[in-house]
Amino acid sequence: MVGIPTGERKNAGRAHGARPAGPPRRRTILGRPTPHLGLVASSVDRTGSPRRYDDRWIRGRKALGSAAFVAPSVALVVVFFVIPFVLNLPFAFSSWTGYSEEIGFIGLDNFTLLADRGVLVTSTVVTVVYAVICMLVQNIVSLSLALSLRDATPATTFFRSIFFVPVLISPLAGGYIWRAIVSPDGPLNATIALGAPGFDFAWLGDPYWAVFWVAFVDAWKWCGVATLVYIAGLNSIPKELLEAADIDGAGRWRRFWSISFPLLAPAFTFNIVTTLIGALSAYDVVASMTGGGPGDSTTTLNFAVVQQFGYSFFGVASALNFFVTILVIVLAVPLVMWLRRREVAS
Amino acid sequence: MTVIARTRPATRIASRRGPTALRYTLLTIFAIPWLVVPLWLLVVNSFKTEREAADLTLALPTEWQLIENYTAAITAGNYLTGLRNSILIAIPTIAAVLLLGAMAAWVYSRSSSMTLQSLYYVSALSILLPPAVIPTIFVLTALNLDGSLSGYALMMIGTRIGLFIFLATGFVKGIPRELEESAEIDGASRLRIFFQILLPLLKPVMFVGAVLLVIAVWNDLFFAQLLLRGSDSATLPVTLFTFASASMNIIRWNEVFAHVILSSLPLIIVYVVAQRQVISGLTEGGLKG
Repeated sequence: MVGIPTGERKNAGRAHGARPAGPPRRRTILGRPTPHLGLVASSVDRTGSPRRYDDRWIRGRKALGSAAFVAPSVALVVVFFVIPFVLNLPFAFSSWTGYSEEIGFIGLDNFTLLADRGVLVTSTVVTVVYAVICMLVQNIVSLSLALSLRDATPATTFFRSIFFVPVLISPLAGGYIWRAIVSPDGPLNATIALGAPGFDFAWLGDPYWAVFWVAFVDAWKWCGVATLVYIAGLNSIPKELLEAADIDGAGRWRRFWSISFPLLAPAFTFNIVTTLIGALSAYDVVASMTGGGPGDSTTTLNFAVVQQFGYSFFGVASALNFFVTILVIVLAVPLVMWLRRREVAS
Repeated sequence: MTVIARTRPATRIASRRGPTALRYTLLTIFAIPWLVVPLWLLVVNSFKTEREAADLTLALPTEWQLIENYTAAITAGNYLTGLRNSILIAIPTIAAVLLLGAMAAWVYSRSSSMTLQSLYYVSALSILLPPAVIPTIFVLTALNLDGSLSGYALMMIGTRIGLFIFLATGFVKGIPRELEESAEIDGASRLRIFFQILLPLLKPVMFVGAVLLVIAVWNDLFFAQLLLRGSDSATLPVTLFTFASASMNIIRWNEVFAHVILSSLPLIIVYVVAQRQVISGLTEGGLKG
């Protein structure tokens, strides 16, 4: 594409100058760059031939340039995302461990092993429950915050910036902080004890509450970002629409449900999907808050991945990793499609 | 109808002030368990002795033990190594993602070629699908980068660049082509157009990208723990986790909290300086799903 003879182009250029006018005719032969056709070509060059050579040359150069601009990021994505992603499938069915050099195909053994030990079902259930709680808490809190912080005043600016602080703290650190708060001697129980003396419930010792709290901390950590996304969504709603509804006598709730809520759809999609995907890969908060316990009631899939990796059962860890991927595809992809459709409809 | 239209503005003005005051009161009340208690508990207990911190109260320390706790977090907590490694990871990762991502986003947003579009979709897919960490270790071993900081940084770039490409491509689509075209007619090379025209225009989305990236990279434990084994290459979250897990069942809250504060401090300091831009950047620019 690049190697178009320069003589040809020069010739064409000169021809262009020689006979500028003339109606286009005999387009069919233009594609054949035979030298003696130069004059014929010249009579029609305004519409096509030499320009097209130029274009093609430029386009060729452009394509090379584009390739150079895209290549580094594509290479990184392919090597560190696509290849591992593809390799995960064979590894999930392999006997790869840290104890032997050989990696063999063992069919579904990793999965049956995990299923027999109950890890697969338990951690899948834990992960999904965690993700749902996290998504609910995060979106309810951040939508409420966004609704009360949507106007830009000095006070809301202050609240917006302080509610963003947990985002900066690592989920691991957040887990330690909240582990202290909900510990039997912690401030939560101390507050409850004001009304119910002697209250010293071990929240993280209870399988159900433990899942709630780890998911809650994950939501706590990310609420700041979701709030800002909702504020952006609310601000993109034309004020006239709300005012018109107000004049027509629509109340606060009516205005929210009939106007803001449907028009928030893109922000909604973004927040629901990011929280869900993030929560399906939950690990850090669990590591600091409960260590997977009590029992394995907070052992998420990714927590189990790290455990199996710690035992050097790489094949088993891959199988769990593969399961996270499946879960994301099964849950998130239909959700994205459904939410997107809602966006278009509204 | 006309009656409503006439009375409405009056009631609105009257009802405006009430809810505003009420709203700020509610927000303040909400902020107490949400922010004030957690942060106060964190700070105040990092000043206490181990025995006093074990009670986890919000009271001021009766016996201050500031220097000892923070010294323990720095020495036994391996803080300085963690800080060095976290910086060595975060800065090149962010620089590479922003530069390489912007280059790719420019091409993706200006082209309709099928090949480029599919490459764009592959990159954007990495936002949705979780990275496969175990095979990544295999790939890094094959490249002789397993356990190294550069291997971890490369993995971070490869898995995080998709989000930035996605954001930046949407952003570039909103920039008119005329600027680039006139520069091209004036004979500017592609590189020059990119660096002198496009990159300055991309500042808002690059800022948002940098904020989201630094939060993700600085705080990552999962991949760091699996890819960086050995204490010399530990990042801050890894050093915190190791430090807190050192004594099996009991957590020495005073020292752990000191470490939490120290490892969160760099981002908090940056945030205090740039909070206005961070908040307005995330609300106004970039994030359009």
